[in-house]
Amino acid sequence: MFKYLFARNEDIPPGTAAVYFGYSSIIWFIIGTGLGSFNAAKLAFPDFVTGSELFAFGHMRQVHVHAVIFGWISMAFAMAMMYITPALGNTRLWSEKLGVWNCFLWNVGLSLGLTLLWTGMTSGREYSDFPWIIDLYIAAFIALPLAINVWMTILKRRTQGIYTTNWFFGAGVFMVTIVFLVGNTPEWFQLTGLSEAYLTWWFAHNVLGLWITPVAAAIAYYTVPKITGNPLYSHRIGHLHFWSVVVFYSTPAAHHLMSAPLPEWLKSFASVEGVLILVPAIAFVSNLLLTMTGKWHYFVDNLEIKFTITGVLLAIPLNMQGGFQQTRAINWYIHGTGWIVAHAHLALLGFSTFLEAAAVYYGLQTIMRRKLYSLTLGNFHFWLLLIGFATYWISMTIAGLIQGAAKIYEVPYIDTVIAEHPYMIARWVGGTLVFTSNIVWLYNMWMTARAGTEIPAGRLPHELAYER
Amino acid sequence: MAWRFDNPLYTLSDEESNKRAMELWEKESLGGLTENNNRLPVPVVWLLALTIVTAFAITFPLWGQRPTAAIYEEYIALMDTPEVQQIQDDAQKMEYIVRTVKAKGSKYEALQDRHPVDMDDLRLIKDDIIELKRQNADLEEYFVVGPDVVLANFEGNLKPDGTRERKQPWWDKGYTIDVFYVAYFCIAVMIAVKRLPHYSWQPDHHKYHHG
Repeated sequence: MFKYLFARNEDIPPGTAAVYFGYSSIIWFIIGTGLGSFNAAKLAFPDFVTGSELFAFGHMRQVHVHAVIFGWISMAFAMAMMYITPALGNTRLWSEKLGVWNCFLWNVGLSLGLTLLWTGMTSGREYSDFPWIIDLYIAAFIALPLAINVWMTILKRRTQGIYTTNWFFGAGVFMVTIVFLVGNTPEWFQLTGLSEAYLTWWFAHNVLGLWITPVAAAIAYYTVPKITGNPLYSHRIGHLHFWSVVVFYSTPAAHHLMSAPLPEWLKSFASVEGVLILVPAIAFVSNLLLTMTGKWHYFVDNLEIKFTITGVLLAIPLNMQGGFQQTRAINWYIHGTGWIVAHAHLALLGFSTFLEAAAVYYGLQTIMRRKLYSLTLGNFHFWLLLIGFATYWISMTIAGLIQGAAKIYEVPYIDTVIAEHPYMIARWVGGTLVFTSNIVWLYNMWMTARAGTEIPAGRLPHELAYER
Repeated sequence: MAWRFDNPLYTLSDEESNKRAMELWEKESLGGLTENNNRLPVPVVWLLALTIVTAFAITFPLWGQRPTAAIYEEYIALMDTPEVQQIQDDAQKMEYIVRTVKAKGSKYEALQDRHPVDMDDLRLIKDDIIELKRQNADLEEYFVVGPDVVLANFEGNLKPDGTRERKQPWWDKGYTIDVFYVAYFCIAVMIAVKRLPHYSWQPDHHKYHHG
């Protein structure tokens, strides 16, 4: 990487930034899920690693969450943007050099931020836990350079139209910048009380709704038509999806605070909007599944489509849960329980991770012109990830229902802890499977770079048969 | 990109604009990807309509709220009765109170079940509730938040005395805003898609691209 930091832009091979982002994202995924497995072990076995506050759950949880969101998910997004945005505009990335610097500064900043969190320096606000100095760093050296590169590539495209994926990419980097700047105002202006609570959850909600969800969906809009060769089923439904994400996902932040003393009318408004999150979900799922028409064999034969369609299918339970769990009728029961933890993992480890993994698999093979080293290992990664995720999600959902019942019926807390213990062990098993699967993935991608079969010019990775 | 309004549900673009759009649609390759112009399948349209209706319907009954002071009024009235006073154990006292109120029948029975309390809780809120009753306050307008009895944060209709009703409404201005918000969204998206060529036209992707 260092040799390209000071090279001329013209001398940097196209796709370099995407490759660095791709490998960085996998490494952060391993770190993030390793920390997750460690944290889950602490909840399953309370005597595991005690005596040092550095390894206390309160320190480690934030490091896990931010390693996964800023390291894995967002860097995989950056990777996808670095190669998909120019490809869809029939052009090159606006600045490969900016992309390489972006990746370098991203890794440095994230390492610094996670170290601060680890040592206990935190804003104390869930999802926006980084201290203000890291927030500024993220805005200046992570979000803005990425946004500039994406916007300039779209502006300099060699097509008249802009494909659906690039609407989402262009808008996603804009929206996340606004969300980041506004959502961190409690940190910068010392807002307290209800303003702090509301903005904290406005940030957390919109990072999910206006960054992770639309950008992950945008990737599927690329991978499914690209690999199957089918046209996207409907440009019109793309409009419905895009605008409904912008309109309905940006407004329901108050539904995270249904028990807080916010104005009740604001909760009513947010709760209706919360159910309407199903509108973009229905548009997205129907558009992608109908694009698969006549090519469903790819769901079995092709690794990237297997990942993508699994992610698309997971959007159904994700949005059914998300839409209804925030209504007053259900929220009073499951609020503050493991159900919510399960839901968050369905969003980040289920829906979005499967879509991003497809983009990283496909992108790395395409850019490096190397066929995946081992399909067997790829399939092993898929199934281990899916089984690990499902074990986690199901066990935490059950644990959440137990906690909800115990909360409502005022069961003594220690009885709840005992009742949910088996599910905490299952959570640890699931998380550890996910962690293990990612080590396999890194090995497979490392070997792809070193020993993958070369893809002849003019061909795409999915057009070639596997040799191993 | 001229507009036409003679058949708005068919198209909002004039013929020239539609023709240019159709030609570009077929001619241009966006990184090797193409798009069709299919409409939203009719069952999915109904599913979306159902979603919008459900979004309002499922949030109407404002369940899961904080308990109002009114639901504990009957409990507190029983606290100082000789029957309760002669019971020594707090848990048994509470059980007697709950049983007695249930036997008499209370319009708050479901809410009482949903928000159980013990004798210590009742002792904490007792004085506040008695004071509010003395002031002829409507206890349904007050929430019990931990040890405090506070004015509810609902903003209902204006009362004759000019103050706001603080009871749980079935409709509030949040829903009114939602109605307009959803309506504006539907209109805006309709305009966006009706500016495209009508869905009866599908691009021929082989006209300019082969293989």
